[in-house]
Amino acid sequence: MRKLAINRLLDRPLDQERIDRFIARYGSPIVEDTRATFLWVGDADEVLVRHRVQGLPDPLRMRRVPHTDLWYVSIDMPPESRVEYQFEIVRGEVREEFVNDPLNPRLAHGPFGTSSVCAATGYEVPEWTLPDPEARSGELVEDELQSKALRRKVRFKVYLPARFVPLVRHPLLIVHDGEDYLNYASMKTVLDNLIHRGEIDDLIVAFVPPGNRLVEYANHAPHARFIARELVPYLTAKQPLLDTPSGRTLMGSSFGGIASLTTAVRYPTVFGSLILQSASLVFTDIAFDHGGGAVFDPVVKFVNAYRAKPRRVTDRIYQSCGMYEPLITPNRSMATVFREADMEVLYREHRDGHNWENWRDRLREALTWLHPGDQRFVYE
Amino acid sequence: MTTVLLGPQRFRQTAGVVATSLAPDGPVATVTAGWRDRESDDAELHEVMGARTTNLHLFMRLGHVIRHDSTFARAAAAFNRSVEEANSLYRIRLQHATDSLYATLRQSVREDLVDSSLRAGLQSVRDIDAWYLWLLSELEGELWADGGVDSSDVVAAHRGDVDEIVGAASLLAIAGGHVSFLVRCLRLFAVAPAPELPVMGWSAGAMALTDLIVLYHDNGPEGVRPAEVWDRGIGRAPGIVAMPHARRRLQLDDPVRNQVLAHRFAPAQILLLDDGTQVPLGADGGLPDKARIVTLTGKVSTVRESTRGAA
Repeated sequence: MRKLAINRLLDRPLDQERIDRFIARYGSPIVEDTRATFLWVGDADEVLVRHRVQGLPDPLRMRRVPHTDLWYVSIDMPPESRVEYQFEIVRGEVREEFVNDPLNPRLAHGPFGTSSVCAATGYEVPEWTLPDPEARSGELVEDELQSKALRRKVRFKVYLPARFVPLVRHPLLIVHDGEDYLNYASMKTVLDNLIHRGEIDDLIVAFVPPGNRLVEYANHAPHARFIARELVPYLTAKQPLLDTPSGRTLMGSSFGGIASLTTAVRYPTVFGSLILQSASLVFTDIAFDHGGGAVFDPVVKFVNAYRAKPRRVTDRIYQSCGMYEPLITPNRSMATVFREADMEVLYREHRDGHNWENWRDRLREALTWLHPGDQRFVYE
Repeated sequence: MTTVLLGPQRFRQTAGVVATSLAPDGPVATVTAGWRDRESDDAELHEVMGARTTNLHLFMRLGHVIRHDSTFARAAAAFNRSVEEANSLYRIRLQHATDSLYATLRQSVREDLVDSSLRAGLQSVRDIDAWYLWLLSELEGELWADGGVDSSDVVAAHRGDVDEIVGAASLLAIAGGHVSFLVRCLRLFAVAPAPELPVMGWSAGAMALTDLIVLYHDNGPEGVRPAEVWDRGIGRAPGIVAMPHARRRLQLDDPVRNQVLAHRFAPAQILLLDDGTQVPLGADGGLPDKARIVTLTGKVSTVRESTRGAA
């Protein structure tokens, strides 16, 4: 393998002009085969890369090239990996956190702001996540429901597909963290594209945002009652929906995955399918020291109880997790538990982390498996 | 009886030339129900066919029946639900049966044992196909009975119109599109062209003319799945499984899969219809020598070559 660009740079005497040319040519990070080199330029006492990749040291200390302002660190970056990262800059007593890489224009967006993205060899943003001018646009309609279970008014958005025909019965998908899926996982664009191409059915999709997320999504009876006993009947009465479990899917990521699973456990005949993306399926095999803090207590209690007595709560589960997430081990383990509870499970791992673009990139596989469209019928 | 099956028309249009050769004069009845909500966007087709077409508008008629015959509408909704459920059961059974068939083929054991296992496995797959078709005909029987199809005035009026247009036509041309909507519209409105009326169909239209509709998409988002029986066609071209877009949708470079496909549907022949293909059926309904098929040995070949090989 050819020497890394950073090592070629360091092989010869350095001056500011060479460094400037190097930065202008490569930017950051430099992805070469299975390695990635992060660069930062500036005066500091310490520069750290924060990445939340399970298996790599976090923080990752950068090395300063002597007598210069150039900092660097190289790490393994297997093909098709996608890693979100930020810098921490330490100057004396001052620690500047959550700094995006100024040499990298590629950003990922999330509810807590943006992060820089390192895309390894072979990773490409799937074209079906980008707006397609030929795809007819579905409609997002605002709706609201006064929930007795949650004792609050719940505002949500309903996606009606472009080929919405009131005479036809449509499948229903309910999405936890609905606003985030729309804003950070391009879910409307994805739906428009996949429906236009006949890859998925003409779904009606309810995008439901949480109230107090860490409470409502952590095995919370009123939330489950709201979804299964209030929202589903409300939507079924209002929209032309397939009124069968196989026509209903509930999905979510992280705590939203827990909210989906716990709702299905409490109301096992309502949903024919679940999509669990990086679900926070944390459990303990002995004692209760799970390390997740108090917000995880109800989650761990629930998962431990489910593992002690697994049962079939839906027909099919699409379950995915990023290989670089701390949640990868519990997810791997739970895929087996779900299968042994006699549910059909499509479990997928990808070289990505706990973030919205990972969840975006999995939507096609999940939705085409659970709600395949007309493509197999169309021979123009 | 004159019947011509054509490949997709999007990139190589041959339908106009074929139409002129089959019926130089007179009206052409067209079916574009497979285009669904775009059924009426047929101006280009009208020109290609010599500006003498009358569209049967079967999809529009279906919508009219659903709006004006509530008994039928209820039964049709129940039928659709039941077909979806039956199909999900069929797909599970089919997937397991084909998985086990290929798994046994990979075993390093005595060849005659593998052959025996292959024959038994194929029979299981054929049994599952037959079971699904039986289920489908039962469900359709329910639709016909519960929906009062043969006693509905609304349906009868449309059937009368359609019969009149087809009866006056010199040619019936069936376009591609959504094969399920297409074939079910043809059946609901009893489109049964007389033997002396020339008929042509392309892509899904060709599939609908056969007696067995098989779906396939090895390159689809779901990955490689076994080809699946979907419905019966109207039976104008029996003994043929028409596969349009073969190059785009089938992984034809795998002789084992091809072999399984050919044996599964034998004695029907797997006819490959790619862009520009024209297949005029013989007087006996047989395929011409030049037609490309998947042979029982798993090769893609012409009828002539496969016959020579068999001899």
